[in-house]
Amino acid sequence: MMMEAIAFYMLAGFLIFFSYKVISVPNPLHSALYLVLTMLGLASAFFNLGAQFIAGVQVIVYAGAVMVLFVMVLMLFDLKTEIRSFSRGLISGALKVMSAALIAGLALGGARSSVTVLDAPAGAAVPGDVTRQLGILLYTKYLFAFEILGILLLAVAVGVVAVSRMKGGTHARH
Amino acid sequence: MGIDVFEIGVNFVKMIAIFLMMVQIVPLLVWVERRGSAYIQNRLGPNRVGPLGLMQLAADAVKFLTKEEFVPKRGYPFLFYAAPVVAMVPAALAFGAIPLSSPVMVEAFEWMGQHWGPYSFKFQGYEIGIGIVFVLGVSSLAAYGVLLAGYGSANKYALYGALRASAQTISYELAMGLSIVGVILLFNSFNFAEIVGAQSAPMNFMLFGKKVELAFLPNWGIFYQPLGAVLLFSAMFAEANRLPFDLPEAEGELVAGYHTEYSGFKFNMFFIGEYGHMLVASALMVTFFFGGYTLWPWLTPETVAKWFTGMSLTQTSLLTALVLHGVFLAKVVLFLWIFIWVRWTLPRFRYDQLMDLGWRTMLPWALFNTILTAVVILIMRHPWGA
Amino acid sequence: MLDTEALMRIGLGHYIALSGIIFSFGMIAVMMRKNVIVMLMGVELMLNAVNLSFVAFAKEAGNLNGHIMVFFVMTIAAAEAGVGLALAVAIYKKFHEVNIRFFEQLKG
Repeated sequence: MMMEAIAFYMLAGFLIFFSYKVISVPNPLHSALYLVLTMLGLASAFFNLGAQFIAGVQVIVYAGAVMVLFVMVLMLFDLKTEIRSFSRGLISGALKVMSAALIAGLALGGARSSVTVLDAPAGAAVPGDVTRQLGILLYTKYLFAFEILGILLLAVAVGVVAVSRMKGGTHARH
Repeated sequence: MGIDVFEIGVNFVKMIAIFLMMVQIVPLLVWVERRGSAYIQNRLGPNRVGPLGLMQLAADAVKFLTKEEFVPKRGYPFLFYAAPVVAMVPAALAFGAIPLSSPVMVEAFEWMGQHWGPYSFKFQGYEIGIGIVFVLGVSSLAAYGVLLAGYGSANKYALYGALRASAQTISYELAMGLSIVGVILLFNSFNFAEIVGAQSAPMNFMLFGKKVELAFLPNWGIFYQPLGAVLLFSAMFAEANRLPFDLPEAEGELVAGYHTEYSGFKFNMFFIGEYGHMLVASALMVTFFFGGYTLWPWLTPETVAKWFTGMSLTQTSLLTALVLHGVFLAKVVLFLWIFIWVRWTLPRFRYDQLMDLGWRTMLPWALFNTILTAVVILIMRHPWGA
Repeated sequence: MLDTEALMRIGLGHYIALSGIIFSFGMIAVMMRKNVIVMLMGVELMLNAVNLSFVAFAKEAGNLNGHIMVFFVMTIAAAEAGVGLALAVAIYKKFHEVNIRFFEQLKG
């Protein structure tokens, strides 16, 4: 239990530090790299929670593909460190931070109350092979949603190709 | 039964040993590459330093260690230093997850007045239930080493190389992932150990609901998934940035690509990363398609264990593991040689040819392979007679 | 006041709190940064925070519906990132700028 707590607090510290860095460093490429570290930390949090397959997919999809795309696009743009990377306005900025803090505070309050309500020490463990059950669930109960997702991805792929072939690009149609 | 100090210690030593094994294989591979290329091109290669030129490795190491460490002034020093590490770590992590031999059993024994329970140590860095997903995920992180090198060195050739490399890695990852799906479907598992276990048997499959066993062939993945094997091996070339896919460091166009600005030990770490990827690729090919550390019918954990009857369980399992590890290494070396052979045989692709091959040839074939495998398995395993 | 027992016994609440903090960071990134791509990264951060809470709830509930939800969210997030980046590249080609201050008006 002690070890578990230490592991969790270390992980939480890393995650909070990295995600704070994502929003605070002025160079967008650096914040993308901090986001990669956040993604990897979240993958290990998933692993801790017994979701091995989700952790693996998190690394493949987010850290391995999506963030590589982000970094690649940022490198293509060749943005230097921005002089003014945050929005202007003291009052509106304060309001924005306060609203975000409100969300976090609500989550924290909910978490505090849920600790007393749900007094399950480690949570009910999912029996057996999680990955196999996930696959079975995905292709039986959630099959329709899965198919819809496939169609959505197809539409997105077509849309992305259409957007990137608009005039002015390297692949423009004349 | 919890985990005690002995188990933690052994696992720790094991991990370090496997990492060192990966690093130590690199100079040997460099030597093989240079001598092999010389042989292919009808030259002699390095043969002056030591017997067969083997001491050239030591000379190279000294050269790497004593060269000037250079950091470009206008780059990002932290990213510049981080890039070689990021290039090397994924290969090491992926190699640690691949089983190299059968597990070693240790009987209960008394030591320092204490009772130490029976142990079973896996002959691999660490075991993860979903090994395949882990290896795919970790090796997809290798793109960052190249990207950071390109961005950190503030050099346009390095940047071009890095952009090419990242596009290439993303494109070929798809084909790589899809070509493995056939194997996963076939052996019904994400776990390397289970896949190897299924392959250390005579060939057996379901033919229209009836079990067929062919005793003269091993149950290797290559017999069911030849297309998957070809696709995986080609995609692995692209992932390791080897010729004919070494566009990121095409020396005729980009000086040396992403490692233009690197010298000394940092360059050496890129080298280790590249050869580590080759090693992981060969190990994956062997594990998925060529029976892993077993060679049915002569060398399986059971048959090898019979050679050492009469010894204690600890000794038997240890010797068995070492013999099977030799089998694994022999297979891996064959694939490593194919990597080197291809490098000195095929010319480099043009960039649009590379993208065409990845997206329009390999991805559709990998999809076709997946769907075909799924349909055939569904039809064949359906109980038709009953 | 501080209950050390509750702090040391890691349960659902701790993960939800972590998720909430990360979510608020993502929200701040979307609201306060001026770079379009950093704003997209803020969206990714928020989605990831929600994923964390889903997985924590799945563990607490002892079934896998949360994992399925995470799976779907990840797929859609990847698609969203693709579309967002394509739009960012299109905007960059037109304005040579990704700071949102420079394309406030809709006229092209």
